[in-house]
Amino acid sequence: MTEDLGNILKEKLANTSIEGEIVNLEPLTGGASKEIWKFEVNANGKSDRYILRRGSGVEGPLAIKTSDEAKIQKTVRKLGAQVPEIIAVSSLDEELGDAYIMKFVDGESIARKILRDEEYKNTLPKLAFECGQSIAKIHQADINEFPFLPSKTVFEQINDLYQTYVSFNQPSPVFEYTHLWLKKQNFGEINDALVHGDFRLGNIIVDKDGLKSVIDWELAHIGNPLQDLGWICGNSWRFGNTDKVVGGFGDLADLLKGYNSVSNSQVDENMVKAWQVFGTFRWGVICLIQASAHLTGSVNSVEKAAIGRRVSETEIDIVDLLFLGGK
Amino acid sequence: MIFDRPSSIELLKAVNHFLDNKIKSEVPAHLAFKLRIVENVLNIVIREIELGQELSEDVIKDLKELIELDTANIDDLASLIKEEKINIEDESLKNLLVKLSKNKIAVDNPKYSTFKKLVE
Repeated sequence: MTEDLGNILKEKLANTSIEGEIVNLEPLTGGASKEIWKFEVNANGKSDRYILRRGSGVEGPLAIKTSDEAKIQKTVRKLGAQVPEIIAVSSLDEELGDAYIMKFVDGESIARKILRDEEYKNTLPKLAFECGQSIAKIHQADINEFPFLPSKTVFEQINDLYQTYVSFNQPSPVFEYTHLWLKKQNFGEINDALVHGDFRLGNIIVDKDGLKSVIDWELAHIGNPLQDLGWICGNSWRFGNTDKVVGGFGDLADLLKGYNSVSNSQVDENMVKAWQVFGTFRWGVICLIQASAHLTGSVNSVEKAAIGRRVSETEIDIVDLLFLGGK
Repeated sequence: MIFDRPSSIELLKAVNHFLDNKIKSEVPAHLAFKLRIVENVLNIVIREIELGQELSEDVIKDLKELIELDTANIDDLASLIKEEKINIEDESLKNLLVKLSKNKIAVDNPKYSTFKKLVE
């Protein structure tokens, strides 16, 4: 399989200026929904590293096509956002499938390593501020550049998530309560923007100097940009460091300071809580979607099956936020 | 039960021990990651066999008291909330939702940060 993939990659890269021998092709630990491979191209005594990201070609209830992720990365890179350079894009009808190849970025994306390794101890205190800046830059992109992206108001998103949850026929009293609560909230009047949709540890590359790159754009869409700020403040993405509201490493005040230093919109802390609850509910429904792929038999995956039992993590986070003074 | 030992729990624990001690060190990194998921799944099953009935009954008892019925299940509670046939500001309802969430995570992932925070 690896050898076949190597040949397909070589053919694809032949259409670019990159030629050489493909070596060290290996799968990386990725998300549950995409294949990610690392490889090197050797030419003229020199070796360059690349990443292949490959999807199924099917748009999920929330996820966009992998080739569309590449289009976003190309556009935001031109605006100065920190994203890896795209080398080649493949569509579903090509041999490589719905995929793209990008330059490898040195650094770390695995959340637990970033939070625990000595190497990042000087990075973490400033990372919330840098994430705020980076999110604000993404939100400055011209939404007209992305006609292929879905555009949804928050209440349309709440309804979509709720209907998706209902379709799985697994009633949850906590999700029913959350749905009623969310429908009554004020999510802030703010112009629509490009929303990354999954900005958190795991989807950013960090080195000892700070934030290097933003990856994994499969949940991108057009909508209320505050969603990205609430999402990274969800407990699901603190990896056990509950006290550090932003991604398990930072404080909300620093995230917003970074955001407000770049953005024209000034966001205050009170605007974030409804988005935290929304984000937690959204992650809960994504867990249901993932588990459903296994339960309906469309894939047989122990990872996807296991994610079904993570819905209860989002339920306890929601009751903590709503009833028990959780932050 | 008519079955001999090892019990279902003992069998599952034996499998987990084997995976942890004999297989983990033999597989490449991307499979080691998946192996951890497999071990977690087996641990969920072990906890559900050990604690599941008691944790469920604990919730259903409070639910019956809340809605003053002799029989009730979680689906009924979801419907009552959905249709707002129950006062959603009622503290007893909120307490029940907290208990339900705690009892579920006690099986699914008792190491989860919010659960640890709330039970400490």
